[in-house]
Amino acid sequence: MSIELSEIVQRLAGEATGGEGVEAYAEQTTRTEINAFEGEVERLTSASSTGVGVRVVKDGQLGYAYTADLSDDGLRRCLAEARANLDVSTEDAGNVLPAAAPVEPLEGLFDTRQVDISPERKVQLALDLEQRTRTANPKVTKVETASYGDAVVQVAIASSTGINGSLALTRAWCYSTALATQDGESQIGFGIDSARSIEELDIEPVAADAAERAVRLLGAVKPPTRTVPVVLDRMVAPRLIGVLLAGLSAEAVQKHRSLFADKLGERVAAPGLELVDDGRLLDGPGATPFDDEGVPTARNVLLADGVLQRFLHNTASAAREGARSTGNAARASFKTTPGISAHNIHFVPGDKDEAGLLAQAGEGLLVQDMTGVHSGANPITGDFSVGVSGLWFRNGELAEPVREATVAAYLLDILKGIVAVGSDLTWTTGSIGGSTLLIGEMTVAGA
Amino acid sequence: MLDDTIVRKVLGAALSTGGEWAEVYAEDRLSHSIRLEDRRVEELVTGQDRGVGVRVVRGTSSAYAYTNRLDPDSLLEAARVAAAALREQPVAEVRDLRRRTSELRHPVRIDPAGVERASLADLVRRADDAARSHDPSIAQVIAGYSDGRQHVLIASSDGFSIEEDRVRTRFVVQVVAVRDGVVQTGFDGPGRSSGYELFDQFPPEDVARRAATRAVAMLDSRPAPAGEMPVVIAPGNGGVLFHESSGHGMEADLIAKQASVYTGKQGQRIGVPTFNGVDDATVEGAWGSFQFDDEGTPAQRTVLFDNGVCTDYLTDLIRSRQLGQPASGNGRRQSYADVPIPRMTNTYILPGSDDPDEIIRQTPTGLFAKSLGGGQVNPVTGEFVFGVVEGYLIENGEPTVPVRGANLVGDGPSVIAAIDALGTDFDVKEGICGKEGQGVPVGNGAPTMRIARMTVGGTGGAA
Repeated sequence: MSIELSEIVQRLAGEATGGEGVEAYAEQTTRTEINAFEGEVERLTSASSTGVGVRVVKDGQLGYAYTADLSDDGLRRCLAEARANLDVSTEDAGNVLPAAAPVEPLEGLFDTRQVDISPERKVQLALDLEQRTRTANPKVTKVETASYGDAVVQVAIASSTGINGSLALTRAWCYSTALATQDGESQIGFGIDSARSIEELDIEPVAADAAERAVRLLGAVKPPTRTVPVVLDRMVAPRLIGVLLAGLSAEAVQKHRSLFADKLGERVAAPGLELVDDGRLLDGPGATPFDDEGVPTARNVLLADGVLQRFLHNTASAAREGARSTGNAARASFKTTPGISAHNIHFVPGDKDEAGLLAQAGEGLLVQDMTGVHSGANPITGDFSVGVSGLWFRNGELAEPVREATVAAYLLDILKGIVAVGSDLTWTTGSIGGSTLLIGEMTVAGA
Repeated sequence: MLDDTIVRKVLGAALSTGGEWAEVYAEDRLSHSIRLEDRRVEELVTGQDRGVGVRVVRGTSSAYAYTNRLDPDSLLEAARVAAAALREQPVAEVRDLRRRTSELRHPVRIDPAGVERASLADLVRRADDAARSHDPSIAQVIAGYSDGRQHVLIASSDGFSIEEDRVRTRFVVQVVAVRDGVVQTGFDGPGRSSGYELFDQFPPEDVARRAATRAVAMLDSRPAPAGEMPVVIAPGNGGVLFHESSGHGMEADLIAKQASVYTGKQGQRIGVPTFNGVDDATVEGAWGSFQFDDEGTPAQRTVLFDNGVCTDYLTDLIRSRQLGQPASGNGRRQSYADVPIPRMTNTYILPGSDDPDEIIRQTPTGLFAKSLGGGQVNPVTGEFVFGVVEGYLIENGEPTVPVRGANLVGDGPSVIAAIDALGTDFDVKEGICGKEGQGVPVGNGAPTMRIARMTVGGTGGAA
């Protein structure tokens, strides 16, 4: 199948005529997802989908079209549409295709064990996870979702500028949401694991996490409004990094929607803080030898000792300012032109685990859930105001649970306020790694 | 789209291992989108997507397989893959496929696919010009146009099939205003189940000016106060709050799992006697409307709250059978790559009898939420958080100082219980609602309304 994808994209790239550049990106995904509920398979999904996106550039203009119809006719129409769409775009120095560059192979993306896993085994994992979560704690009354999923993804890219790459990778993951009930009050907790094969998944900690996180929130009350140290746990921290990430793309800077614009070389975060995106880090789910337009990936340091080192580039943003792509072109699917995103972004871990950071802070709020991030956090203005729930801690020990509280602060102040990064770096399904973060102080608003 | 004989064969193969019913969902979608940012018209994108999903259902268990190869062999293979999840003797047969028809019309006067490409680029340029000339503080404009024609064919072994052509058109504008180091954003994004005639009702300049006005107004804002206070919500926006804080909890999948704060609340009085809420997929040309849902059930108007009493839940076929509730026509999916689940369509709080201006005048102090951003809800507890993107203090019965960074925090039933005024006006906000990774178009409507007391999170200290 991969050969077929390569053939398709090379054929399309070969259609380029005088003065135009043509790039074709094809992907095929085979996916399984199984949800268990109360001892039965609630839903099993098995999918196979393929699509091609064609980018045409000429004289600084750009046209795009995609299709799921891979017949000769469908592909021909797709190329014709992309060409017809050229004329209406505004000329832009960024509308160019990358030149071919040598790509160093990256072994270990494809776990061959995953190919022969029987559907029965996958179903059993989901059922086991549901059962373990349900029995992990007597206060767990229900498992809202227990899910196993996997994907085999194949990608091929070719262009008239000589790009010609293909790759295949596997992913497997499982997650569980426990519902705990006591005195008519319910709380939910979440646990997750991910790897390149079902062989590497461990359901016990997932079930234990989900149950523990639900049960410990029972009896939560609104806290009094106070300004205290705040600890974001490793599952919440990625939400904060996600908001920062939006401002670290060179495209966001060029389009005046980054709060980091004009701050290159400045100390924007606490001393000692290191933020890195590493496309070649195999532990991270985003590992890949080349990005979504075929440019080799690398380890890019974004913050070193709290000082802003660089922005993430794709070919377009780099061309606009005469820079080099950092290999961060990203597409949501074959339906979109390459944007910019991280592969595996994370704070370089410190030396204390969560308990160590709680002890260091003494008294404050441990946040285990954050809501309203997509509306309450604005990466352009830097406003950050979200709902949180979690546990109060005193003398480094967890105490009463807290809900319906809000924390609000300016994003750059939060970044400057990160006192310590935990040692517990964890990767789940996204491109953002999570470690416990200790923030010196924030206002927690409640009753 | 697909030949009836093949569809019957596929349904037969799907039922061969003990499925109680099976369904074929085929979709072909042609879409166009264009975007402007930083004064540049970015790429125009033409998209052609298509695929078929086969679902086999037994009780509350289902198996789903999809492919975007449409030849008979690929379809039969999908049916076999879905059927492989069960290992029982056959219990059902494929009945004759009777074609369902609908009297509902969501008329399309101007087919977007026939519009000149250059005109689409003009739309976003016109919005850019209008926003920038509205106020010198406008520093950035993002304008986007999108249309889609989705053709669906749904056939069920229970003996029916439907075909529907759904056309939707939307225009969104986001602006950034900057003055003296203060940055604020404003948004507007009307959409209809109609064609290019959307712009007769919503000229791009008007949309741009509304977005710009919001951003500029907030430049003079100060941090919002924190604490409990009365909150008056401008028309339309209360619908967004209702959708998030109560609508999701009334989706029957959560009810069936007893994972909703509304479980067992049917027949109970929750709101004031003047509080009425519906979910209505039949509203002509509305963004969240259709003729049939994505399981082929005819579009309906479902009453969620009748004079303050919690009435019906929003069901898909599986949940309606499970709960013994009527099929409400709320089984929706993002595309052939997704299974249908209970979803809202157009969710409205119906107007009351209060004069909208009088509602604010009768509020000595509080917060006037003129525009809400997105929100998030935990359906188990009903707790939600909502960003107020345009808000004002109410002082002596008048909106005064603009405030920023305000968050509304509460839970659905408590908020409904605390509503004490409903205006005679009404407006709708369109959006894409996300659930289990699937986005579907939804409309949210409401009159001006007041919540007697709710928690406001802000950075400006205690109120």
